[in-house]
Amino acid sequence: MFVVRRWWNQYALKTGLVALMVVAALGMRETGGAAIYELYRWATSPFHPGPSRAAMLQSSYAQELQQRLVELESQNRSLRQVVEGDAAPLAAGTPAAVIGRSAGDWWQQIIISRGSSDGIDADDIVTGPGGLIGRVVAVSPNSSRVLLVSDTTRRVGARVRRSRATGYIRGEMGQQVEMEFFDKIPDVKVGDVVTTSAYSQLFPQDIPIGRVVDLDLSKSPAPEVTVELTSPLNIVEWVTVIPFEPKSVEIPAVNAPASQEIIPNRAAEDNLAP
Amino acid sequence: MTPARSSSLALRRRYRWLNLAVVIGSALLCVMLLPMRLPGMVLLSVGPSWLLIWLVAWSVQRTSVEGAIAGFILGLVQDGLTGYFPTHTLGLTLAGFLTARIQKQRFIQEDFVSVAIIVFAMTVIAQTTMALQISAHQLISSSSPYPSLPEIWLQHQRIALSSAILSSLRAPAVYYPLSRWWAHYEQVMTPPGG
Repeated sequence: MFVVRRWWNQYALKTGLVALMVVAALGMRETGGAAIYELYRWATSPFHPGPSRAAMLQSSYAQELQQRLVELESQNRSLRQVVEGDAAPLAAGTPAAVIGRSAGDWWQQIIISRGSSDGIDADDIVTGPGGLIGRVVAVSPNSSRVLLVSDTTRRVGARVRRSRATGYIRGEMGQQVEMEFFDKIPDVKVGDVVTTSAYSQLFPQDIPIGRVVDLDLSKSPAPEVTVELTSPLNIVEWVTVIPFEPKSVEIPAVNAPASQEIIPNRAAEDNLAP
Repeated sequence: MTPARSSSLALRRRYRWLNLAVVIGSALLCVMLLPMRLPGMVLLSVGPSWLLIWLVAWSVQRTSVEGAIAGFILGLVQDGLTGYFPTHTLGLTLAGFLTARIQKQRFIQEDFVSVAIIVFAMTVIAQTTMALQISAHQLISSSSPYPSLPEIWLQHQRIALSSAILSSLRAPAVYYPLSRWWAHYEQVMTPPGG
């Protein structure tokens, strides 16, 4: 008893401080570091890329191309409507600046400058110049954390635009990702454009992902190709956040694979069926 | 009680709070540096492990229990910033514990070069525990989303080496001010006349 009391007299303050710190750190962990990211956003706010710079970067040539693209897209949509019926257009997005990168080396994440006060929720889809970037995994009032498509745990349902061969892509912590197909012999060539597939439940279809740069059709059990992402993930400065609307997909129900295991604090993976 | 003695008591109390502020403030600064990618601080798209540098600076002059507790707390915070799995707590706790042990055995003198070497070794250890966790998950769970073992350890090589090099180069920037402050703090806090 005496020993305990003496110990307490000596270490009461230290113990209290340690307990306080542990509780604070646990709180930080549970909230996904919201307080720290808020502080970070506030401290780095003078260095955020401003809208004037974004406007400067968007040269007139790019604008011209964009206008032509919009026209072509609307044409394409009306033609597609004639061929295969109506598809829901993408909801309007929220622009956001990239203010930070992942705080751990084993994650591929970015921190963006908009959060729940701008209407961003977890699971929202993030696109940028070049196409798909990732998905929001955690939000704080004024910032959110995005898990990039290049993260190793990320699976995205994808398809080759030319031949409609479907499969999924898997991140590899770099600018290149692997794509695996459901077919044994998919129709794919170097240079093909890869987009999100209609079977993806987490992403709207037809968001560009990348371009095929390498083929390994002999790989078992499924052929594998390397896809170079079109969005420059490590230098991207501005992104667009599109609200996520869960869609019910009518899947031709043949032996759907068991749903991917969900890792805590990582977004759920796409449940895909061939 | 003489006025000089009571004033020194007040001074010591003030220094105690100041020390707490310095400890928390510097750790917070290191946490805030994590998501930043400043020019010249990225190697193969990996940045320095600022929290580990802070942890080594904290642990070299303390007991292994203090080092381990600090590592655990910092690990929880970094988990909040990234994700729960693989957890940083294991690696940082181990790093804090081992750093304090090294100093105890007087293998290494306290100077910048040896601190840089300790940081290098501890970064490699911390990153290895991360890779081990991912490997274990990959081996145990059949539907693991992680890539195959050779790929994981290839990533481990890239991450551990570049992170260790960068961290050991940046270590004096964190270690020097902190060790100066703690030396000054010790000097003020030791009662006059030993």
